[in-house]
Amino acid sequence: MKFYYFHLMPYVMEHDEPSSWVTLSNRFYDPKQGQILYNQYLDQLEYAEALGWDGLCVNEHHQNCYGTMPSPNVMAAMLVRRTSRAKIAILGNGLPLRENPLRIAEEIAMLDVASGGRVISGFVRGISAEYFSTGVNPTHSRERFYEAAELILKAWTEPGPFPFDGKYYRYHYVNPWPRPIQTPHPPVWCPSQGSSETVEWAAKRRFPYLMVFTPIKRIAQIYGEYREACQRHGYTASRYQLTVNVPIVVAENDAKAAEIAKKNTMWVFNTGLRMHPPFWRPPGYMTEASLRRILQNPPPLPSDLTFEQADREGYIVYGSPATVRDKLKVFSDDLKAGIVCSGMNGGSHEATLEMMQLFAEEVMPHFREDAEIDETAGVGR
Amino acid sequence: MPPARRELSIRGTSVHMLSDGAGAPLLFLHGAGGGGRWLEFQERLAKTFTVLSPSHPGHGGSPAAEWIEHISDLAFHYMDLLDDQRLPRVHLVGASFGGWIAAELATMASHRIASLVLIDPVGIKVDGWIYPFLFGMDIPEVVATVFHNPMAALALAPPDQSVETLALQYRQGTALARVAWNPYLYDPLLRRRLARIAAPTLLCWGAHDRLAPLSPCGETWAKEIQGARLRVFAESGHVPHLEEPEAVAQAVLEFCRSEGAS
Repeated sequence: MKFYYFHLMPYVMEHDEPSSWVTLSNRFYDPKQGQILYNQYLDQLEYAEALGWDGLCVNEHHQNCYGTMPSPNVMAAMLVRRTSRAKIAILGNGLPLRENPLRIAEEIAMLDVASGGRVISGFVRGISAEYFSTGVNPTHSRERFYEAAELILKAWTEPGPFPFDGKYYRYHYVNPWPRPIQTPHPPVWCPSQGSSETVEWAAKRRFPYLMVFTPIKRIAQIYGEYREACQRHGYTASRYQLTVNVPIVVAENDAKAAEIAKKNTMWVFNTGLRMHPPFWRPPGYMTEASLRRILQNPPPLPSDLTFEQADREGYIVYGSPATVRDKLKVFSDDLKAGIVCSGMNGGSHEATLEMMQLFAEEVMPHFREDAEIDETAGVGR
Repeated sequence: MPPARRELSIRGTSVHMLSDGAGAPLLFLHGAGGGGRWLEFQERLAKTFTVLSPSHPGHGGSPAAEWIEHISDLAFHYMDLLDDQRLPRVHLVGASFGGWIAAELATMASHRIASLVLIDPVGIKVDGWIYPFLFGMDIPEVVATVFHNPMAALALAPPDQSVETLALQYRQGTALARVAWNPYLYDPLLRRRLARIAAPTLLCWGAHDRLAPLSPCGETWAKEIQGARLRVFAESGHVPHLEEPEAVAQAVLEFCRSEGAS
């Protein structure tokens, strides 16, 4: 199994506001503190490469304390020059949020060329709240996503210049310099929540599917749907098409790990993802069919998720190295996920670095039967 | 007696319409959340007019129509409905979002409108005003913004929290957002075009409208539509036809009569 280090770059804080997204005033953000955090977080990502992680992940979110990375490409650019081996996975760029998505084709190509082909390009729609922060019409989200993806893939693979006349995006000259160094283009991943439309779309194109912060039962179900869709499209999914993002806490014993997880990992759900209810469900962001599926079996709001439930349902992995190994076997052996993306938060920068080292020494080596395999060969394109 | 329920197909778009009464035809265009409802306001109008009360596509009992992507699509849709019903001329009454559609229609086809009544319409950019963003509000916030008398909101309260009810609310919000998310609740081209409205126009406005306040919104409409009369309803917020249905229905009747209804 491959391990990717995933960073949200949160601005960890406690507050009594109704929402950590969209309306949480940026007066709470102290840029001096931000400077320290950004540099610590980048140090952690660089350290992950040194410790043997296979990939480093950044992502895009807007106007919140949950993740202070409105431009993941900026962070990826910093990593490109400070790392030399690890994949740099941008998970991802919010395609529909851009008025000019050709910029994504250009920026990813820049990163791919400069890094010598280490870039993985996630395509996302952006989560619901993003549509309140950017003003983009959520009822256009799905169509804009598909159209922008088509444009970017074409820009990477077809010699320019050519015209593109879409419903939302129109150009007379599509001809981006540079072109990406990977052929035919950098691997594309689809981080998603499991809507059947996206599963189908990703499977058809061999784009790896990434389940983010999802209970294990649901991961198993969506993986099943994805594998089935791949069969329908005439091939068997590689295990590196099935990826998962789950926070990990490892400590010297289970009790200590539980204590850290309760405090630091649960902050992500309970505070980081605290959202004014309307921000969860902008009109038209999902299809009515998807909405009905959710209403019939509503998942808990992250802000209501208890540690016990998160533990029971597998939203988090924590424990001693032996316990974490056992829990990860569920992902490697039962779910047959090829790549686990995870962030760690020890409570302080130093504690996080120690936790990373413990994981790299005591857990990672037990899952290295595929060390020689390139997980990006033949997938994502 | 309950109103007649009819299913129409307007150029292939399914429409659910309530209608009742006798007399000159009056087309009522409901606001967001008002689809499929036959309330006291329509009941009173139906004593004098043949009231046609269709649900906008995606609202009430009318299924969503993917082709509707701009407010003018809805205005053309209602011109098609008038053609379908063989109505050369009607009294046109629109409330809030329905008022926006009615105003768009009036800029295109005033000759088909015997009289135009706009009740707290949205739809134009008003200098010095940004409409509060209802999509970002929970239900109590929406009620506090839209209603001066929150008890009047009960008329629009959902019957339950079933999947069907929640899916309908989502479908209605989606249909509204498709044409009104950004620019929010207005068409940048409409304000200048209001001068084209030749039909006699009555503006009804709630004195306590917090979504589109009388000043500056109502005053701007009154200025832009030549000869428009403005009636203010002292006990109402954004939806006087729900908050003071008797008084607003009376004002509509008087206005339509005085304009020598066709």
